[in-house]
Amino acid sequence: MRQKREEEYLNGNLTAMIDVVFQLIIFFVCTTNLQDKAIDDRIKLAMAPNGKVETRKNPYEVKVYVAEKGGLSIARTPLSADMLTIILKKSRADARGNEVPVLIMADARAKHSAVKKAMDACTAAGIWKIKFTALKEKA
Amino acid sequence: MNLTAMIDVAFQLLAFFILTAKPVDVITNLDVFRPMAEKASQEQSPAKVIRVTVFPDGFTINDRAVDSKGLSALLGKLADLDKTQTVLIQCLNESPHGKLIELLDLCAKLKLTNLSVISSGGA
Repeated sequence: MRQKREEEYLNGNLTAMIDVVFQLIIFFVCTTNLQDKAIDDRIKLAMAPNGKVETRKNPYEVKVYVAEKGGLSIARTPLSADMLTIILKKSRADARGNEVPVLIMADARAKHSAVKKAMDACTAAGIWKIKFTALKEKA
Repeated sequence: MNLTAMIDVAFQLLAFFILTAKPVDVITNLDVFRPMAEKASQEQSPAKVIRVTVFPDGFTINDRAVDSKGLSALLGKLADLDKTQTVLIQCLNESPHGKLIELLDLCAKLKLTNLSVISSGGA
């Protein structure tokens, strides 16, 4: 008799637990935002153990990626230097006088000429302050 | 065997650790300025400027060729004089970006904040 009840418990009454598990999964999926922590794995950032960590996020910031081969992209969309200038000009217009920080995430092996293209696009858009992104410690 | 309580506690612990775990900030930002084309030349007196050029295989500081170690030593000495002086960074087109970051990291370590990356004449 006891044996039978135990079996029933183990086999049949999982509904509530599964409900809770799904609730938890949905809760954590909705609350974690991995997107802005994610690092593009195709870009190997250089190490800079002495750099400072920025805790405040600026909503106007633009992340420009520079691949090893020299291609520029924003959010995985490849861009030409001219397009980048147009986008940055637009971002500046949208910011209405607020500072638009440009983060250049360049591969450590990328040639400087490629990074220069990105910097020149910033200059053309009237942005003088640039941030280079690096890794503080081995990820 | 009643597992309910144990599973409840396990979920509580799971929830607690997921909520309290803070992902380590591994990303760091190194700020630089671009020189304003017209102002750059006359604004500062040459004495207040450290010129560093980044080559694919080394650096020059005020036209003296140094390796990474030498750069660190020499820049450290210059930084001790005045933290507010401008570091004018020139980078050759063929230099890997990692070299530039190495220099910027060194400047961050020495608390030199007035960094200017110029691109003209870098070829």
